[in-house]
Amino acid sequence: MAAWPNPRQVLGKPATRLDGVAKVTGAAKYSYDVQPDGWLYGMILRSKWPAAKVTKIDLSKAQAMPGVKAVILTEGEKRTVRFYGQELAAVAATTKQQCLDALRAIEVTAEPSPFVVKEDDAMKDDSPHVFDTPNVSQPSLKEEGQVDQALASAPAIVEAELRTSVQLHHPLETHGSTVSVQNDQITAWASTQGVFSVREGLANHMKVPQANVHVICDYMGGGFGSKFGPGAHGGIAAKLSQAAGAPVKLMLSRLEQGLAVGNRPSSIQKIKFAAGSDGKLLAADVTNHGSPGISGGGQTAGGGGGSGIATPYLYKFPNFRAQQFNVVMNTGPSSAFRAPGHPPASFGTESMMDELAVKLGMDPVEFRLLNDPSDVRKREYNVGRDKFGWAKKYKKPGSSTGTIKTGVGCAGGTWGGGGKGSEAEAQINPDGTVELRCGTQDLGTGSRTVVALVAAEAFGLRPDQIKVKIGDTTLPFSGGSGGSSTSASVSPAIWDACQNALAALQQQTGVADARGANWPDTCKKLGINPLTVRGKWQEGFSGSGAGGVNFAEVEVDTETGHVRVKKIVAVHDCGLIVNPLTTTSQINGGVLCGIGYALYEERIMDRQTGLLLNTSFDSYKIPNIADTPDIEVVLIDMPERGVIGIGEPAVIPPAGAIANAVANALGVRIHSLPITPAKVLAALGKVPNMTSV
Amino acid sequence: MNPFQYVTAHTPDEAVSLIGKNGRYLGGGIDLLDEMKEYIVSPDVLVNVKHVFDTKNAQPIVFTKDPNGCSIDATVTIADIAAHEELKKVLPGIAEAASEVGSPQIRNVASLAGNLLQHSRCWYYRQPDIVCLKRGSQTCYAQDGENKYSSLFSGCACISPIVSNLSVILTALEATAEVKQAGKTRSLSIGELYHEVLKNPAAHNSLEPQDFLLSVNVPTKRTRSAYRQVSEKSEFDWALVSCAAAGNVAAGKITDARVVLGAVAPVPYMVAEANQFLEGKPLTEVTASKAADIILKDAKPLAQNGYKVPLAHTLIRRTLLALNT
Amino acid sequence: MSSKSSHSAPVVDRRTFLKGIGTSAVAVASIQAGAIADEITKAAGPGPQGPGAVPITLTINGEKKDFQLEPRVTLLDALRNYGPLTGTKEVCDRATCGACTVLIDGKPTYACMKLAIDAQGHEITTIEGLAKDGQLTAVQQAFIDCDALMCGFCTPGFVMATTALLASNPKPTEAEIKRACSGNLCRCGTYPHIIKAALKASGQSVTETTTVINYGSVA
Repeated sequence: MAAWPNPRQVLGKPATRLDGVAKVTGAAKYSYDVQPDGWLYGMILRSKWPAAKVTKIDLSKAQAMPGVKAVILTEGEKRTVRFYGQELAAVAATTKQQCLDALRAIEVTAEPSPFVVKEDDAMKDDSPHVFDTPNVSQPSLKEEGQVDQALASAPAIVEAELRTSVQLHHPLETHGSTVSVQNDQITAWASTQGVFSVREGLANHMKVPQANVHVICDYMGGGFGSKFGPGAHGGIAAKLSQAAGAPVKLMLSRLEQGLAVGNRPSSIQKIKFAAGSDGKLLAADVTNHGSPGISGGGQTAGGGGGSGIATPYLYKFPNFRAQQFNVVMNTGPSSAFRAPGHPPASFGTESMMDELAVKLGMDPVEFRLLNDPSDVRKREYNVGRDKFGWAKKYKKPGSSTGTIKTGVGCAGGTWGGGGKGSEAEAQINPDGTVELRCGTQDLGTGSRTVVALVAAEAFGLRPDQIKVKIGDTTLPFSGGSGGSSTSASVSPAIWDACQNALAALQQQTGVADARGANWPDTCKKLGINPLTVRGKWQEGFSGSGAGGVNFAEVEVDTETGHVRVKKIVAVHDCGLIVNPLTTTSQINGGVLCGIGYALYEERIMDRQTGLLLNTSFDSYKIPNIADTPDIEVVLIDMPERGVIGIGEPAVIPPAGAIANAVANALGVRIHSLPITPAKVLAALGKVPNMTSV
Repeated sequence: MNPFQYVTAHTPDEAVSLIGKNGRYLGGGIDLLDEMKEYIVSPDVLVNVKHVFDTKNAQPIVFTKDPNGCSIDATVTIADIAAHEELKKVLPGIAEAASEVGSPQIRNVASLAGNLLQHSRCWYYRQPDIVCLKRGSQTCYAQDGENKYSSLFSGCACISPIVSNLSVILTALEATAEVKQAGKTRSLSIGELYHEVLKNPAAHNSLEPQDFLLSVNVPTKRTRSAYRQVSEKSEFDWALVSCAAAGNVAAGKITDARVVLGAVAPVPYMVAEANQFLEGKPLTEVTASKAADIILKDAKPLAQNGYKVPLAHTLIRRTLLALNT
Repeated sequence: MSSKSSHSAPVVDRRTFLKGIGTSAVAVASIQAGAIADEITKAAGPGPQGPGAVPITLTINGEKKDFQLEPRVTLLDALRNYGPLTGTKEVCDRATCGACTVLIDGKPTYACMKLAIDAQGHEITTIEGLAKDGQLTAVQQAFIDCDALMCGFCTPGFVMATTALLASNPKPTEAEIKRACSGNLCRCGTYPHIIKAALKASGQSVTETTTVINYGSVA
C-alpha cells in the first residue's frame, strides 16, 4: 500500500510561505485588486426593507447619470423581498463615486410587510410569517434508549437553557469578483474557496458552456466557509459586464457583508444531562431552536444552510433525545461558517458537562476522561492538562478571592475533514526546475505552500525550488476548500503526480534515481522537452477525523464585568504534520475566532425596523491584538493516519473552554454568548433589572 | 459621499468666512467623513482647518501663568496631546483620556475640536437606512430597542450618550473653550459647550457648524487628575462608561473635587452634591463609594443598560482613588 | 483614470516651521512668521476647489504623482484605483480596521478617512514603498519568518504599523507592540505571530510556543 516516506526530509518541518514575499510587499493581487483594461465599478442596490412587496423599480434616472454604463434589475421588477439587504438592482459605472451616485438615483416603490428578526419573536404563535408556512419547522428527532425513564431515576441531573448568537464571517476581503463577459466567454477573478464552484455557477447563470468560463483566484482574503459558488453578487457582476461590454469589479461593502452573504446560525439549546453516581453519563434530553435566517436548510439537522448542531456533542449517552427546530426569520441566509454546527454544540454540551462535574464533585478533566469515547481526545486532555498546569490551577467554582477572579475550564471538539478527488500536474523542466499545478485555493491556510512541500519531499528539492500554480480552473481539478479537506485532498494528488513524474523521468533518461546531486544532469537529458504528467488523489496518504481540546484560563474583574483570557492551551491531533508553522497559525486563528464567539461577537438586528445595527467593526466586535492571550499549541503528530485537516477543528473548543473558565472563576454561569461585561455583572446580581443570563 | 468643494483656511477668521451656510470644518475627518459616507450630512464645502494656527506665535500646547493654566489649540491632534510630557505631569487625566481615544491611526489625525464636537455614535443614528429622532424623525428607536449602549440619565428625548473622552476630563478640570461665534470670541464652560443637547434632540453640542472652536483653556489649579474607562474589548473600542476626576489632595484630604461620568448621558454627567460631599474628606473606598451612590442616584436604567450603574460605580471609586497617588 | 496636470506647491505647516527655527526663538520667529505666512498663502493656491475633478499632486513613496480627482475621492481610492497601487487594502472604509494604513509623514494613518486632496504636501508611504530594489525590510522578512501572515489581506496594514513602531521605538515590549498594532484587525488570527515578528525584527528574542508530540509517546 502506498504511503508517505519515512523518514521525511521536508514534511513536518516548519516552512515559510511561498507567497510571503508577495503578501508583505503588497504585490499579491486579490480579486479586489485585479484591474483588467477598461474595468468598471459594480454595485448592488439592496432592499431597505426587511419584508416588502416591491411594485416598481425605476432605473431611468440612474441610467442617465455620468459614467454609468449599465443598470439592471437583479430579478424582476415586481417581487417579494424577505430580508434587509436582498438584491434588487445593480449599476456599473466608471468610478466608485459615479456608481454610488447612480445607485442612489434608483427609485424603488414597495409596500412594507410585517417582519420578524428575533428568534423569540419568530417562535411566538402570533409572529408574522416569513413564508406561507410556520416560522418554526417540524423538528428533526434523534432518539435512543429510554430517556424519560433514565432521567426520572438519575442521581445527578443538570438542566439549563444556553444561547449562542448569530456570528458573521467578516473575512477582511469582502465577497465579490471581477467578471469579464465577452459574448459567451467569461473570465472571473473571484474571491472564492472554490474556483470550480464559481465556474459551474456562472456557466449556469449566464447559460454558457462551462468550458467557456475561466475562474481565477490567485489570492483571496479569507472565506471561513462563506465563499462557495459565485453568489448572487457574482451572477450580478456577470450580467453587468455583459450589459456594459466591459469587465466589472463588484466587491461588497462591509455593510453588505453583514447582510446577505452568510452567517453562523444562532442557537437556543435546552439541555438536560444526567449521570450516575459513578460519574458515567446516563441520559440527555436536548432541544435546539436555531435560526438560519430566511434559509430553511431543510427539515433536518446538519451543517450548511440549516441551523442544526451536533448535539449532544462528543459524548455517548446511552439514552438520549435530540430535537432540532429551524426558526426562519427575515434576516440574511446562513451559510457554512468554520465547523458549522460544532462551536455552538461544543459550548452547550461542554458547559453542561462542567455543571454535571461540579454536581458530582468531580474534577472536570477527570469527568471527561471517564466519559469521552475518543482515545485520541483523552490523550489530548492528558497532554493539555500537564502543559496547562491544570492540577495546580483548578479550584472549585467561585473559590477565587479578590475582585479579579481567576478561573479555568476546558472543552473538546471533533471534526470529520479528510478529502479526496484532487488532481494535479507536475512538470519537470530540462533545466531542473519544477512546476506543480493544481486547481485548489489558498485562503490563508497555506495550501500553496503545502503543494510545494509535498513536491519538495518527492523530488528531493527545497520548497523554494518548486513553482506552484493554483487557483485557476484551467488547472487540474481540485474540490472547494472547505470542510478542512484541502490538505488531505491535495497532498496525495501532488505526491502521486510527482511519483508519476519521477517514474517518467526514469523511463526517459534511464537514470534510476534522479533525486539529489544528479538532479540537474538527469533533467538535462530531457533535451528540449519538459516532462509533464498528471496525478490524482490516492488511498493511504490521508485520513479523516480530527479533534482537539482547549484549556482556558481567564481573569474576570467582578466590578466591571470585563473578561480577559489569559492563556489558552490548544492540543490538536494533526495526523501527518505537513508544516507545523502554518498549522500553528491555523490553530491560533481558530482560538481567536473562538474568543470572538465567546466574548464579543453577535449580529444585532433591530426589532422595530428589522435592520442590522452593527454595520462595521466598531460595533461588530472581532478580537483585537490586545485581546490576544498567551496561546500554547501542542500538535499531536500521528503520521500513520496520513494528512488530515485542521482548519475547522481549531475553532470548536475555545468558547466552551472560556465559558467554563468564567463559570469556574465566578461560581455562577453565564448561559449565553457572547459573555459581555453586562452579562457578568448581571450574573453577579449587580444589575437589578437583568437577572437571567 | 456627495460632491463638495474643498478649501484650506489659514486663519480662524478665514475659515469662518469660507464655511458658508452649509459647509463643515475638516480637521482629522474621522467623524465628519464617516457621516458623509453614510449620507447623514452632505456639506457643500469642506474647509481644511489644520493650518489656521501655522503662523501663530505660540506653541500649540502652552502653559501660562496668571492665571495658571494650559492652553491647547483646538487643532492639536489627540496623539500630540497624549504624548505631551508636561501635560502628562501636570494634567495627567488629559493625557490618559487622550491615550484611550480610538486607535493610534485615529489619534494621529483626530483633533481636540473634532473629539469634543463629534456627533452621536448611537447605532440608530449612524445606520444609513434609519432616520431616528436625532436625524429629524419622531422616533427614538433606542428607547424601546437595542439600548445597551444608551444613556442612564437622559434629560432629553435623545438618549444617545456622549462619547468624547476629552469632554469628560475637561469637565472635571473645569476647562473653558474659546469659541468664535458670530464674529465674537466667547469663553464657554464645557457644560455650556454641550447644554444645547439637553434642549434640542437634534443637537450634538451647543455650537453651530459655522462656530469655530479655537482652543481649550485648562486651569492647572487642580494638581491631581485621572481618567478611566471600561470597554468590551481591551483596545480600540468605545467606552461603555468613562470617568474623570480632578482635585487637590493635601494631608490625605481632597479639595475642589470634581467627578464626571462619560457615556452615561448626552452630556458629561456631573452631580454637584457629590463634589460637595467629597470636599475635605479623605479618598477611601467608603467615601468614594458614597460619592458614587450620590452620582448614580437618579440613574434610570433602560432594558439593556442597567449594567452601566455598577460599572459606573466601580469606575468612580477607582478614578477617585487614583487621585491619591 | 489619471492625467497630467499642474501641481500645487507643498504646504509648510507650523510643525516643520517651528522645528526649523527652534522653539525658544519666538522673537526671531515673528519676522520669519510673516515671510512664511506669505508663502503659505501663495502655496495654498486657489479658493475652493471642486466639486468636479481638480489637479491633485501626491508625494507617494518619494515620487510626485499627478491626479485629476474630485475632492470627495479618498486617499485610499486614489491609491488603489488611480495609482494604481493596490497593496493598501479596502476592508471597511470606516476607520475601524486598519487594512488601509499608510504612513503620512511617518505616522500611521487610515487612508480611507483621508481625502486625497487633503493629503497633498505630505510624504505618503505605502506598502509598495518599503522594500528598496527588491530588498525586504527587517519587518517584512520577520513577518515571513514568523508566519505573521495568512490570507494576507491585513498584512500591508500591520507591516506599516509595525514599521512605524520600530522607527520610533527600536526595542518595543510586547505590550507596546500590541498597543501600536491595536488599530489593525485580523480575522485569520495572525496576532500571536505578528507579536513575534515585531520582536524578531527588533532583534529581540522570541519564545517558541508550539510543541510537537508524537502520538505514540502519549498516554
